[in-house]
Amino acid sequence: MSGHDEHKNFNANKIFLWLFIFTAVEVAWGILGHKWHVGKPLLWGGLLFFALLKGVLILQYFMHFRFEGWIVKGLIAPTPILIAVIITVLSPDVACNGKLNNNIGTSFDPKTGQIVELPEVAARKGVLPHNAPAPKGADAGGAAH
Amino acid sequence: MSQATLAPHAGAHGHHGHKADPFAYDPAVDAPAEHHAIYDYDSGPPVERGKFAIWLFLATEVMFFTGLIGTYIILRTGASAWPNPEERLAVDITAFNTFVLIISSWLMVRALQAGQKGDKAGILKWLGATILGGALFVGIQVYEYIELYKHGSWPNVDIFWSTFYAMTGFHGLHVVVGVIWLICAWFGAARGKYTAQNHMGLELAGLYWHFVDLVWVLLFTIVYLF
Repeated sequence: MSGHDEHKNFNANKIFLWLFIFTAVEVAWGILGHKWHVGKPLLWGGLLFFALLKGVLILQYFMHFRFEGWIVKGLIAPTPILIAVIITVLSPDVACNGKLNNNIGTSFDPKTGQIVELPEVAARKGVLPHNAPAPKGADAGGAAH
Repeated sequence: MSQATLAPHAGAHGHHGHKADPFAYDPAVDAPAEHHAIYDYDSGPPVERGKFAIWLFLATEVMFFTGLIGTYIILRTGASAWPNPEERLAVDITAFNTFVLIISSWLMVRALQAGQKGDKAGILKWLGATILGGALFVGIQVYEYIELYKHGSWPNVDIFWSTFYAMTGFHGLHVVVGVIWLICAWFGAARGKYTAQNHMGLELAGLYWHFVDLVWVLLFTIVYLF
């Protein structure tokens, strides 16, 4: 708030350092978690924990949210509820997956113009569909680098 | 805060006297009998208009990205198989890019702190560095897209790439808008627009920039590390 910034003094360097550390730990956890097969709940839980921690630090300090009045907090307060509503509303799409034209786990092949199963899915089933491109080792979809 | 005094309705609290023009407001006749504090104050929200507007805008932005991320989570959890992002994406380069954006966010804080002191040279220095950080982030993302294009990883290849491009593309667009906004703020600072008393424009640009950083922190985790 212009002219009323005295109460917003905080150590930005300290917050930045924490963000830096949390990012490094998060990346390490993401890479090692996949490598060690720690399981999705632990892997995703740890990643989400660090991501949310960083998000809260940015929101609270860099965006001065904790120093704002009730009106700004009131503006943002409904968003978590709306997020939950969106996720809930989208959930039936997964439940009705079998009835969709383009099922999850399939993709549109622009060469043949047909819906084909993802190579990963086909490989998992042990059968490759006749019109699906053969997976190239672990890099089935074309690695970036 | 402006003193927007509202004219109360004649007869609501006032005395009914005789006036030459019955429609003219005459404080002696039409003023409320008892003092109402509400008439002395601005009827707007108890926060600067610009800040109220930007937070309202950011709330809509939260919902926009929630739609994208929510769709991704639903598709991801509903898929019978999902490729390991590490095998398709360059996590190391993007991790570096995440550090770049976090650093630029910190630089923005320093720019605002300079603005609070009315330090014009400080604003130009820190804001300039923030802009460079943002430009570097966009440059690295463009490089990533070019590399993916070379490997034939198009959005229509499969649902992984569709969601990847939708989320990172819209975020990249926000970063570009943020960089343009910061450049405008930089030129404003160069013209001496921001003082210790009034640096709201700088604060609003900063709020948007930090929001873009916050969204990336979540996107990076969900898209690249999950």
